[in-house]
Order: sequence, then structure tokens, then C-alpha cells
Amino acid sequence: MKNSILFGLILFLLGGSMLVSLALGRYEIHLDTLWQLLVWKLLGIGSAPHDVAMLSNIVFDIRLPRILAVVLVGAALSVSGGTFQAMFVNPLVSPGILGVLAGASFGAALGIMVCEEWIGVQFFAFLFGFVAVILALGVAKIYGSGGSKMILLVLGGVVSSALFSALLSVVKFVADPYNKLPAIVYWLMGSFSAVDMKMVTQVALPLALSTLILSLMGKYLNVLSLGDDEAKALGVRVAWVRNSAILLATLLSTLTVVVAGMIGWVGLIIPHIARFLVGANNRVLLPMCTLLGATFLVIVDTLCRTSLSIEIPIGIATSLIGIPIFVLALRNAKKGFA
Amino acid sequence: MSFYSANNLHFSYNDKAILKGIDLHIAQGSIVSLLGPNGTGKSTLMKLFLGLLKPRSGEVILKNKRLESYSVKERALHVSYVPQSTHVAFAFCALDIVLMGRIAFESWFQKARLLDIQKAREAMERLGILHLEKRTFQTLSGGEKQLVLIARSLAQGAKILVMDEPVSGLDYGNQLRLLETILSLSKEGYTFLKSTHFPEHALMLGGYTYALKEGYVLAHGLTCKTITQELINELYNTDIVLKETVCGYPVCIPKFVKTKQ
Repeated sequence: MKNSILFGLILFLLGGSMLVSLALGRYEIHLDTLWQLLVWKLLGIGSAPHDVAMLSNIVFDIRLPRILAVVLVGAALSVSGGTFQAMFVNPLVSPGILGVLAGASFGAALGIMVCEEWIGVQFFAFLFGFVAVILALGVAKIYGSGGSKMILLVLGGVVSSALFSALLSVVKFVADPYNKLPAIVYWLMGSFSAVDMKMVTQVALPLALSTLILSLMGKYLNVLSLGDDEAKALGVRVAWVRNSAILLATLLSTLTVVVAGMIGWVGLIIPHIARFLVGANNRVLLPMCTLLGATFLVIVDTLCRTSLSIEIPIGIATSLIGIPIFVLALRNAKKGFA
Repeated sequence: MSFYSANNLHFSYNDKAILKGIDLHIAQGSIVSLLGPNGTGKSTLMKLFLGLLKPRSGEVILKNKRLESYSVKERALHVSYVPQSTHVAFAFCALDIVLMGRIAFESWFQKARLLDIQKAREAMERLGILHLEKRTFQTLSGGEKQLVLIARSLAQGAKILVMDEPVSGLDYGNQLRLLETILSLSKEGYTFLKSTHFPEHALMLGGYTYALKEGYVLAHGLTCKTITQELINELYNTDIVLKETVCGYPVCIPKFVKTKQ
């Protein structure tokens, strides 16, 4: 009961912040006008507002795709962070634990260096995100007969992250310092400014679907947290659940890099806030992560777009806002997952 | 006609032979106690019976079919596992833990149905622990935790319970209450395979006993016939006397204890 009210509240907050975000920007639209436009365009009720062509252009062609991307990316990062925290039974784990973010960043940087086309950059980011995770799983597999698989996975992730961070430095070092290097650095700070409707339609389905599936997998992650033997004895196909969770979280993380570059901290702090609100039961926690992550990133992205005359890279903003929140969350982490 | 049995089971960890040809037969509705010193392969044998480990050779038969031919889910509907203790990292309440026993009945992405919640609460009520349902699992006492785990097995619907040293870590009163629970469940048709460190506990429950030593079955049969002074002394390298009390109930008395006579 308490949880339903909480979910309603966050959903309302998400809707509200999306609306406000549509209205705010270099050209501010009054909320009444925005409402009139939305109702007229989407429901065909009422009359068109003044200057409808320009307003439609701003709202539907420029701001809406970006906001949709922000919602999807925020939800994706948080739910994969929450999933990994549940799977590794460790509150300090983030979506990058298996090296996916390091791999995807390297891929993107490599793409910027060798390709002229944006699609090439996306392709390389996607490819190396998966390569990095496969490497981590491979390292874990070499020594992974019996014993504690999770520790080996973490160490595999450390190896893979370190390797791709080093490779990223290599790319930065050899990249043309006048054309390519600034583009790489800017990309690594994360930004939604390059998002358009075409990109959103390409990534929306896999992002939304994987996010949905992961947020409903909580009950299996609950059982997995008891240990492999107990989970198997309860009738859960442990390896299958774990592999699908890793696959989906990897897909989500790489896609967020493809859309918006590196956005840190969201996948780490949002699960903490969600846990503070609804407790550690993953059945409830993961859906809450999804909603909360989307809401948080919409608010942060709106601040990035509107607070200064130039746009602040969102990766910087999430770090600056995330660190103090995380320090507060650590107070709870000391008690474990209680 | 094999309800639940192991035929010539061999198992080794990294070339170290743990089990060297175990034959073990469990009849429906019986209680089978595994006795043996530490490191003799009791837990390994139970994991083989649960299908959590694969034997190097030999086979486990469940209801006339090889255990391996069951899917993980099917197996969970027949056999459940009550671990010695469970490490619960998250702050689950007792009902959440019992509800996990229903996971084999839920399909992917389905919310817990009212039926599952009802079954879970029924199982808790049966063991007299329904009042604990909202309590956080970690805050329960050892005895309460064991009962919650047994309730999970009941909710799972499996009629065979494999228990790894169910009474270890419990105080005397809780040990006795747990043994009584096992006995009354076995009268309702539940089958038990359990390991124990206490020959007395096997004697209290009756049923059958298998004594394991160094990977072999040293002795087996009806508990009251199998557990003898000689067996205990050989099994544990002890010096005890098995005596019958006035009412004919056997007790183990170590030699170092001074008795009147």
C-alpha cells in the first residue's frame, strides 16, 4: 500500500518534470501554451496556439526526442546498476563493474578517431562494450571451476576495465589534438545534445524492452542472493538467470554510451535512494530504480540545458550532484542492505 | 521400485576421492539419518541427492527415473533443501523467504499470486510461526530461522526434504522441538534425508541410519539395530557405553563420566 503511493508519486514527479523540461530552454514556453499545444497536437482537442509551426518544431523535433532519450538512459543506467548490486550482493557496485563502460568509451573514442560518420562511432561503442564484458567473463571462466564465481567475475571486470582504460589513453594520445581529441574528451563527459528523433527510434525499443525485463527479474535475483545451491534447489536455473541479467545489463549500458557518452554515478546512487525508499526486496526495488533513474536524469539534464548560457556536460553534473548524495547513502551502506 | 536412492555413487573433488561407491535407499515417508565424522562426505552425498553436484559414476534415482533427467524446476517440485543456515544479505521478511519456495510455480515476470502467498502463509501456520511473517529474517533466532526454512520447503510442495544438520547451532529446547516437527511431518508422509552429529538424535527419530566413514557406508539399516556401542566407537573414535534407561531407551555415556555402579 505504502509502496503503491510511492510509485504513484514518483510517476507523477516524472511526468511533471518531463512537462517542465519540455517548456524550459533557450526559448521558454509558457506551461499553458505548452499544454494547449500538446492537447491540440496529440488529442486533436481545442485550437492551435499562436506560432504553432515554431512551437511544434521546438517541442516535438528538438526537445521531445532528447527528453525521451534522457528518460530511457536514466532508467537503463539505474536498473542495470540495481541489478548488478543485487547480483553481486554488494552496494558499491555500479553498471560498469564488468568493464562495459570502459569498453564502450574506448570504442567510441576509437570510432571518433577512425570514422567520419556518427554511425561508425556508435557501432564501435556498442561493439567494444560487449567485447569488454566478454573479456571479463572469459578471465573469470579461466579460473572459474567451482568456488566463488562472483569474486572472479568482479576481478575479471577489474582486468577488463583497466585494459580498456589504458587503451582509451592510447587513443587519446595518438588522436589529432585539434580535431579529434576535443571531440573524444567531450564525448567522455556525456551529453544528450546530439540526440535526434531518428536516433531515439533506433534505440528506444531495445532500451525500453531490456529495462522492462530487468525490472521484472527482481524475484529471481532475490533467490540468487541466497547462493547458487539454494537457488537451484528452489528450482531456479541459476546460470541462465545470471547470464540473461548480465546480457541485458550490458546491452543497456552500451546503448547508453551510444546515445549519450559516459554518464557516471546514476547507476550507483539511484539504487541507494530507491533502497532507502522501498527497502531491499528486488521485486519492488528494481521497478523503483527504473522510475527514479528516469526522473533524476530528466531533472539533471534540464538543469544542464538551462542553468548556464552554455550547456554543461551531463556526466559532470551527475558526478557533482551524485557525490554528495553518495556520501549520505554510505551512512546506510555501513549497515549493509538493511 | 525405487523411490529415492543412490546406486554405487562415486564422487571426487580434484582427484581426491570423497565417496567410494555409496548405495543408499530411501523409502517413501521414512526418515534417513546420515551419521559420520567431519569431512566424511555427508554434505557431498546430500548435494548429489539434490542434484547440485554430478557424480563421477553411479546414479541417483528419484521415482524410478534418473535424477539428471528431471529439469531444475521439476526436481524442485519433488525434493527440497533445508540448508544448515542461510546467509541472507538483503533485509527480507520471513514471509519473503517462505515465498521463495513458490518460485518454481511462478512463471517469468509474473507477480506473486495470491495463491502463492496463501500457500506460504499456510506453511508458516502449520509450523506455528505465522506470527513471524513480518519480521526481518536476520533478526530471528536460530530456531525460528530453521522453522522458516522448513516452511519454505513445505511451501515448495516437495514431499522429500534434504536437511543438512538441521539442529546444529540450536539450543537444547529448539533442538527437541525441531526433531518433533520432523517426526510429525514424517507421519504426514514427508520423507527426510538428514545428516546429524548426534547419534542420540537419530535414535530419537527412529527410521533408518546410514553410517559413513572415509567415503564408504560402514553400516546401515533400522536405526535401533544399526546404532550400537561398537559402531559409535568405531565411527567417531570414542570410548562410550550405550546403555538402556529404565524405560528401554538407549543413551550414550562416555567412559570419562562417573556413573553409579
